[in-house]
Parts: sequence; C-alpha cells; structure tokens
Amino acid sequence: MDKNITIIHPRPSSIVASLYTLRDLNVDVAVLHGPPGCSFKHARLLEEDGIHVVTTALDETGFVFGGHDALVNVLHKVNEMFKPKLIGVVGTCASMIIGEEMHEPVMEADLDVPVIEVEVHAGYRNNTKGVIIALESALDVGVIDKTEFERQRALLEEATNVELRHGAASREYLAPSRGDVKYKVAQRIIELLKEGKRGLVIMNAKKETGYMFADITVAINEVAEQLGKADNIVNMANIDEKLGLPRVRHHAECIANDLKEKGVVINENIGGLDEYPIAGNTVDQLIKDKYSNFDFAVISGVPHAIPMDHISNMELISVTNGPRQVLPLKEMGHEHVIVEIDLHPKTLGVNHIVESEFGATLREVAKESL
Amino acid sequence: MSIQKRIAIYGKGGIGKSSTASNVAAACADEGYTVMIIGCDPKSDSSITLLGGKRIPTILDLLHEEKDVKEEDVVFTGYNGVKCVEVGGPEPGIGCAGRGIIVAIQTLKKISKTLNEMDLIIYDVPGDIVCGGFVAPIRKGLVKEAYVLTSGEYMPLYAANNICRGLAKINTPLSGIICNSRSVSHEKEIVTKFASEIGTDLMAFIPKEQIVQDCERDGFSVMEKAPDSSIAQVYRDLAKAIMQRDTSVMPVALDDEHLRELTR
Repeated sequence: MDKNITIIHPRPSSIVASLYTLRDLNVDVAVLHGPPGCSFKHARLLEEDGIHVVTTALDETGFVFGGHDALVNVLHKVNEMFKPKLIGVVGTCASMIIGEEMHEPVMEADLDVPVIEVEVHAGYRNNTKGVIIALESALDVGVIDKTEFERQRALLEEATNVELRHGAASREYLAPSRGDVKYKVAQRIIELLKEGKRGLVIMNAKKETGYMFADITVAINEVAEQLGKADNIVNMANIDEKLGLPRVRHHAECIANDLKEKGVVINENIGGLDEYPIAGNTVDQLIKDKYSNFDFAVISGVPHAIPMDHISNMELISVTNGPRQVLPLKEMGHEHVIVEIDLHPKTLGVNHIVESEFGATLREVAKESL
Repeated sequence: MSIQKRIAIYGKGGIGKSSTASNVAAACADEGYTVMIIGCDPKSDSSITLLGGKRIPTILDLLHEEKDVKEEDVVFTGYNGVKCVEVGGPEPGIGCAGRGIIVAIQTLKKISKTLNEMDLIIYDVPGDIVCGGFVAPIRKGLVKEAYVLTSGEYMPLYAANNICRGLAKINTPLSGIICNSRSVSHEKEIVTKFASEIGTDLMAFIPKEQIVQDCERDGFSVMEKAPDSSIAQVYRDLAKAIMQRDTSVMPVALDDEHLRELTR
C-alpha cells in the first residue's frame, strides 16, 4: 500500500460526503454554494431521502464577483419555502477557490435557525475529509457533542485506512467490474447448504446501504430454512440501534425490526451501522473464538473491512455495491464477488428492507432446486 | 497594414505600468499608428489618463449587469484616437479577478472588430503573474510578446525576475526590459545588467520626474499635457523602439542569490 500513489479513477467527492453527513444530522435543507451542476446526481438522490438540496447556482459572473448576495438570498428563500429547523451550507470547488467566506452571509441572513457551515471542496485526497469538516461545524453549532464527534472521527480515520488497504484507494487504477454471475453464485450457496456445510452470513453495511444488504441475509436464511438447514447458519450484522448519528440509529432500528418480523435471528450484533470500518475486528475475534470451523461465509456491505486472518480457510462469497471493489476482494482471496450495482439509489428514502438482485436470484434458483 | 503588434506590459504592482502603457500608447498614436490599450486591472485605471481623467464602463461591469455587451459599450476613443478598453473586475478581496480577465478577454475577442484593425495593442496587466487569469491574454493567443517594467530596487527586480520565469514557463518571448526609475544608486547600470543577464535589452530608462505625476493628477498623459517635456521624448523614443523591435528571447530567470548580488 503506497499512500502517495496518484489514483486516476474517479473517487467519491468530499462535497458529497459533507452532504450525506448533513443528511445524517437531520438537516432539513442543504445549500450548495457553487455552480448549479455541482454534485447534481447525489443532490437529487438526497432529495429522495427527504432533505431539500438547493444551490446558489453561481455562474461566470458569480465566479468573478463572488456569491455573497446569492447565498444570502437563497438562505432567505429556503427559510421561507421550507420552514427548516436546521440548515447546512456546503462549499464547492468553485466557491472555495475564489475565496468565498460563508459565515458572513449566514450572519447577514440572520435566520432564526441554526446553520451548519461546511467549507469544503472536492480536492481532498480522502472524501472522509468532507465528513469531518461537516462534523466539526456541527460540533461548533452544538448539533453533536464532543464524544460523538471524537467517535465519528476515529471511525472515519479507520474507514480511510480500510479503503487504502483493500478498497478503492488501494490502487493507482481500478477498473470497474460487475463481478461474478449472480445465478452461478446463488447455485453455489444452495449447493453448500445442501451439502450440510455451515455458513456465516455477515452483514457489515455502511449506513442506509444496510436496507438492501440485509435482504441478502434474509434470502439466505429463507433458503436455508426451506432446505432444512437453518441451524447451519449463523448471522452477524452491524445493526446496533444505540450507536451513531440520529438517522443512522433510525436505520438500524428499522432494519432490526424488519429482520425480526421476517424471523431472522441475528446471532451476533457486531456494532452500529456507522461502525463498518471497525466491525471487522469484532467479526474476526468472534470467528476466532466461536466459528473458526465454519465452511463458508457470505459477507455483504464492506467485505474488505473483514480481516482475512480467520476466514481464509472458508469459501468466501462477498457482496459489494462498489464495482471497483471486485478486483481487491478477489485478490484478498474472496472466491465469489458479486455487485449490487444500483444499490444506493434504491436505499435512499426507505424505512424497510428492499429487495436485492442477488436475494431475488437466490430465491428463484432455490425454487428450481427444491 | 503592417503586422499587428500585440504586447503585454508586466511588472510589480505600483511600478508604473499604467503610466508607461498610456504614454507609449499616446506616443504611438502621435506617430500615426492605430493603437488600443486594454487595461486588465480590476481598478480599471489603465486608460484614465487617455480619457481626460474619466472612467469608462468596464467589460465586467456590463457582464455583471447581465447586459448583452456590444463593442461600442466597451471600446472608447481617447487621446488622438487611442482605443481604450477596461476589463474591470470585482472589489478587492471578493470573487476572482483572474477569472474576470479570462471572461472579459473572451468577450472582447468575440465582439470587437477594432481589435483586428490596430497596429498596436497594449495589454496592461496587473502586478505579478499571480494566477492563470493574469496570463489569459497570452494563453488565449492575444499577446505575442511581453515587456517587463522594473526599477533598480531589489523587490521590483525580484518581481521582474519571477515574471520572466513565468513567461518562459508559458513559452512567451520577452522583448525587453523597461526601467521606470526610482532614482536609486547605479540604477541604470543595475537594470541594464539585469536585462542582459536575462537575455534581452534595456529598452528605455524613464527618469523619475514630477511632471508625470502632475499630468496624471490632472487626468492626462505626459504626451497630451506636456508634449515638449524631456520625458515626453523618452516615451516617444520608447514607442518607436517598441514599434521597430523585431527581436525577442525566451527569458532565463536568475537564481535568487545572483539577483541579490546584482543589486548590491
């Protein structure tokens, strides 16, 4: 791992990371201070998640003469339109390069609503920087406390390390891949279950992505049940409802409720939905202590955060939503890697587990083989 | 028409670029050349002494007002037919003046026919080359050669040297050094040596004379207000030299220690 490599494939943006963090802090409106097209795709997706994302729409004139007035106007406008209880203002490359100062317009707008100012651009090497800047600002305005801030910071540092070790930041260039054929992998899981092999089903998901990764846990449990092999399965998931920012805790609660309703027992709760960078260590310890003789493991979410130490003798099937994650996972020793390509858009704005492509495939293949 | 000369005058802020540019423009106009001066400083004061002390609307002012900018809105005729254009820009500390120059230059290129009809176009560019916008006239292919203005003091020479380094980096030839004197000791000798070591010539030594200030205070160039003064002749000679100049070099900047040595 070389921390100084220049990574040439496009990578997640710090601006977008700030936007998602503001969402987790339950802001009602996020104002992007910059050009109208900046972060368009994610801004739109976030609207599906219930927050209003607007832009100061700086144009060529705005770049030259600054966007002070535009920001004041947009703040007044959103306050009137949406009656928010909490607002976030997020910088962009253009506004930060021209030296826009966001505090002054926020003061001038003089709203009776707390405003989290995030002076961020997309030029940071790690997008987690965007989360940290947003959290620092949230701490300043008293939206989170120091303990939660420090907890988040430690998690983000570890998330960055996970990406550097085996993730999208591990290589100068990683080609995107759709991974292995889901049908074949589904057949293999059914085969393993039929053979009476014992399997671990581990969900180590990042926040709202858990709504879909949990479906894989559900599908395997359903199929194991149908095959009379339910006892051969042990489920682990990071769905601790007491940990994380408000929205993240809510996601954990919703997923846990759904799993319960579907009769899936989580044998090991391995942490909060924001603890995906460190939950791997808990998993590693649990396997070492209790499950080292299992035959296979299906790991969904952020599989590359699970150390290989005590799973390398198992047949590994991993499910990711990162097309650039396929190659690193294969190189780590995961035999089957599948990609849930359109996971993220489908997990925004939901409160229940959503069907995954692999879960659906597994259910269909199981029907054929029963 | 002879080949159009398109020059930029660079130099440390406050060294006298606008004074020199407007007097050279006026002197060339007196010689019968068609001349345009394009002020690229947000202060928009490059052409003020060619317009009797009056300010003109700038390209960026009009763009800011979202007007459909036409040539007649931004190209004004000053002393002896000199065409005057000001780029304009944001207030100090706000926005991005560099981007402003890029936008204004692109606009001017699109709307101005006069631009192509001139014998000489002078771009008066602010300060050091602090960002990409300040070399936009060069990058956009509007400037073919550069002159650097300095005095014999250390800091203006340091800035001039840096500018030469920047010019070489963007592959722009330097046609000469102009000394705007501050009456420091051995000044002509120092600047002549600097020019020579950079690889070019000292084009003119403009003595420090109160009359330049007096004319500017009244809102005029020396050429207009005091054409018979000795300094008017210096500008006249410089103007001729620039129009006749057909050699330029890729400057080789000096290292810091060598430059310091030169000024001792």
